[in-house]
Amino acid sequence: MMGSGSKKLLLQYITAILLIFLLTWHLVIRVPALRGVSTFAETLASDKVYHEITAYGALLLLFAYTVLLHAFNGLRNILLEWTDGKYNALITGTIIVLFFIFAGLATYTVVGITPPPASG
Amino acid sequence: MAEKLKEKENRPGWIASINPWVLKIKNNPERVAFVLHRITGLLMALIIMAHIYVTGTPARVGWDAWAEEIAKAHGITAVTLYFFFFAGIAWYHGLNGIRLLLVEFFGVCIGKPEKPKPPYLAPSLKACQRKLLYLVFILWAILWAATGYILFAS
Repeated sequence: MMGSGSKKLLLQYITAILLIFLLTWHLVIRVPALRGVSTFAETLASDKVYHEITAYGALLLLFAYTVLLHAFNGLRNILLEWTDGKYNALITGTIIVLFFIFAGLATYTVVGITPPPASG
Repeated sequence: MAEKLKEKENRPGWIASINPWVLKIKNNPERVAFVLHRITGLLMALIIMAHIYVTGTPARVGWDAWAEEIAKAHGITAVTLYFFFFAGIAWYHGLNGIRLLLVEFFGVCIGKPEKPKPPYLAPSLKACQRKLLYLVFILWAILWAATGYILFAS
C-alpha cells in the first residue's frame, strides 16, 4: 500500500483489467453446460475441484492475489474517506495484515491440497 | 461554532457517501451507479474473505467437510442463495467496473472538450457514457437472472 494516491488508483485500474479475464474464467468453469454436467453442484464435485486446483493452481493464486489487492485497496479507500483520513496508519496497517492473512490462506488452499478419497 | 458547522457541512460524514440523493440534482443515474458500486464493492470485499476461507475447506478440514457443504448446493438453500446474492453484487460491480474503465481510464464515451455555451451542458452528459450506464443495468438484470436459472432451476 506504499506509493502515491495516483499509483494506488493505477493499481486499482490494472487489477480491474486483470480481473475481467480472471473472473470470467472463474465464473465460466461453474457453468454446468460447459463442464458436461447437469447441475451447479456437480461442477463443485471433489474430483473436479481437485483437478482445477492442481492443474490451474498458479492461475487461481494469481486470481486470489489480484482480487485481494483490488478489494483491500478499495476497502482502504472507502474507510479512509469515511473517517476523513484520521486513522490512516491504523486502517492501512489492518488492511496489509488482512491481505497477508487471506493471501496466505489462498496459498495454503493450493499448496496444501490432498487428493479426494475417491481419486486418491 | 460557525466554523465547526461549516466544516461539518463540507464533511457530511460517511452516510452521505452512500446516499444517492445527497446531491440535489435531478436525473443523476451516475450518482446511483456510484453508490451502488461503492456498496457492492464493500460487500464484495467482505464476502471475498468468507469465500476464500470456505474455498480452503478441502485443504484446511478435508474433503468430507467439502462434500457436506456441496450437498447443500441443490435447489433453494442457504448455499445457493449465498451464491445468488454474491453473483448479483459481483455482476453489478464487474459490469459497472468495465464501464468505469472505459470512461475514466480509456476516456471512451465522454465527448470532446468544448467552449462553455448556454445552457452549459457538460459534453460528457451529451456523450454516449450514459447509454453505457443503462447498458450496465440491463446486462446486470439479464446475467443475474441467468445465474439464478443455473443455481435454482438446473
